[in-house]
Amino acid sequence: MPRAASSSTATVWAILRKECRSEWRTRYGLNAAVLFAVTSLTAVTFAAGRMPDRPDLLSALLWITLLFAALSSMSHSFVREMESRTLLLMRLVASPTEIALGKLLFNLLFLVIVEVVTVPLFLLLTGAPPLRMAQFLLILGLGTLSLAASSTLVGAVIAQTRSRGALFAGVSLPLLLPVLASGVSGTRAQWDGMPVDGDARLLAAYAVALFGVSLLLYDHLWED
Amino acid sequence: MIWRILIFLWIATTMVVALLGAPLVPVLQETTRVLYFHVPSAWIASVALGWSMLNSILYLVRRDLRHDDQAAAAAELGLVFCIVATVTGSIWAKSMWGSWWNWDPRETSIFFVLLIYGAYLALRGSIEGEEKRARLSAVYSIVAFVAAVPLVFIVPRIYSSLHPDPIINSTGKVDMDPMITACFLSMLVGFTFLFIWLQSLRVRVFRLERRLAA
Amino acid sequence: MTAAPAVRVGGSKLTHRYGRRATGVSELEFEFGSPGAVAVTGPNGSGKSTLLRILAGLLRPTAGSTTVSVDGRDHRPADRRDVLGFVTPELSFYEEFTATENLVFAAEARGLEAPAHAASAALARVGLGTRAGDRVAVYSSGMKQRLRLAFALLHEPPVLLLDEPGSHLDEAGREAVRDVVSQQSARGLVLLATNDPEEIQLAARRLELHGHGLGDPA
Repeated sequence: MPRAASSSTATVWAILRKECRSEWRTRYGLNAAVLFAVTSLTAVTFAAGRMPDRPDLLSALLWITLLFAALSSMSHSFVREMESRTLLLMRLVASPTEIALGKLLFNLLFLVIVEVVTVPLFLLLTGAPPLRMAQFLLILGLGTLSLAASSTLVGAVIAQTRSRGALFAGVSLPLLLPVLASGVSGTRAQWDGMPVDGDARLLAAYAVALFGVSLLLYDHLWED
Repeated sequence: MIWRILIFLWIATTMVVALLGAPLVPVLQETTRVLYFHVPSAWIASVALGWSMLNSILYLVRRDLRHDDQAAAAAELGLVFCIVATVTGSIWAKSMWGSWWNWDPRETSIFFVLLIYGAYLALRGSIEGEEKRARLSAVYSIVAFVAAVPLVFIVPRIYSSLHPDPIINSTGKVDMDPMITACFLSMLVGFTFLFIWLQSLRVRVFRLERRLAA
Repeated sequence: MTAAPAVRVGGSKLTHRYGRRATGVSELEFEFGSPGAVAVTGPNGSGKSTLLRILAGLLRPTAGSTTVSVDGRDHRPADRRDVLGFVTPELSFYEEFTATENLVFAAEARGLEAPAHAASAALARVGLGTRAGDRVAVYSSGMKQRLRLAFALLHEPPVLLLDEPGSHLDEAGREAVRDVVSQQSARGLVLLATNDPEEIQLAARRLELHGHGLGDPA
């Protein structure tokens, strides 16, 4: 059978589609993630109440909720692959970088879906003041990119360890602190009427650096 | 044997001279003394982190387990020095500004380094197999370095800080009483040798363990 | 009909240790060329599966190196999946997908031109044509083994690495394996790790592993 020009993009795309189809068939991950996000959101907003005049607290709580949602759900993409022992199949048809990229895109999509549910709900329940939409979305988007990049790499690493669940949050946190810092700062600035480009630039640079470095490292992850 | 004694004498002497003989920095008053422990510890914590990460890269490139020994040993020692730095810093903060913790950029940086050490060592503890452990922790170490750069180096420079800068100020000059400077630098040297000595011991233990099991 | 590619597979000072004590393969040297089949034999634990994994580029050996070259072009371990097919009992498929979906995914990921066609052809070749639309979750172990074979044949590779290919298979299944091995032997190279005397017969050459030392191509 003649072979089409080996295109990495096609491989990544195939993996992404497979992840989506797999998720759709089982739906464990998405259900659990949305449920968790809504649960933590409810707890937070119930405890804190409405705070239309506290943009500092609002941004902190928003990012904490997002962080928890990400930490609770993002490891499952690789862990599932390990548990079903299908990683070998993947490795026989795609390079480590292609596998990682496919899963990263999937994690990104997954996070976006969770955020689409969680963020409006958060804004509603806390009585948040009106947004400067472009700035808000910019900070949120850039932060999400870093969340996805970090979670994919850490997921791939800890899927090969013994105590996966407990480790994922602890190992991810150092990588996510910069995101938390700039994310909270930027979101707050947007409500305070201040410029967000300092934080946006930091977030963008960080996402690029994280993404770039992890791409170089995926080749070393699976050697047995 | 000789090293142990030399290092002990060096640090002990410096400590005595510093605590008893050196004057106080005007701004810091009595808390000056923390300078001799806190800053060297923080310095070693950072050096150890850098050394650990460098060896992680070297391991991935050369696949020599000796680099992994260095990385792991440096991480363990670095953690200890980091705890010392964080705790002494907190004590200093309490007496200077009245609160144990302020999320001042420098405080945040050292805490962050502490987290990285913790995560790295926790990760190592959960992986079986020498090469796998070395490889995966090296990968993490390198990514953590990327995370460390903004938080540890960039942020403190940009944001104004409660943190005193008697040593490296904006003009880059050393701005203290020469006695203090001498004691401080001496302490710094002493700590560095302490780290190098402990590191070599720890690496030797790793190597012996491996030979024993083979 | 393209000419059969010239394949060479070799190992040099190949050593692999598991953990600190167990020695798998030690200072192994070998070279085989196509066409034909080689049986890799040896007691359990002698490193047969390990050797195939190393050749497939999945496992990094402790020391030494392997080469796989097709038509004079050398393939690094990281890129070998394009030119080889690997069957091993450890290969699992996505249980929530059908056999066809699994193979179509594999074909798409490999960048094959007509994924659906390649998938159905491979499935037919191993006798799974009628059950192609069932989810792998309901497959018997024999059917899963055939699926593994189909997966390895999907991209018509010049090199086939088969680790215990007859396991879980009934007589009809083993017949399918025999057909595959003879077809592949004619146009490429097959390495067959097995202790089954019938399967050993399928190969003209032999590499015996003892956990140490040289194998003699018979």
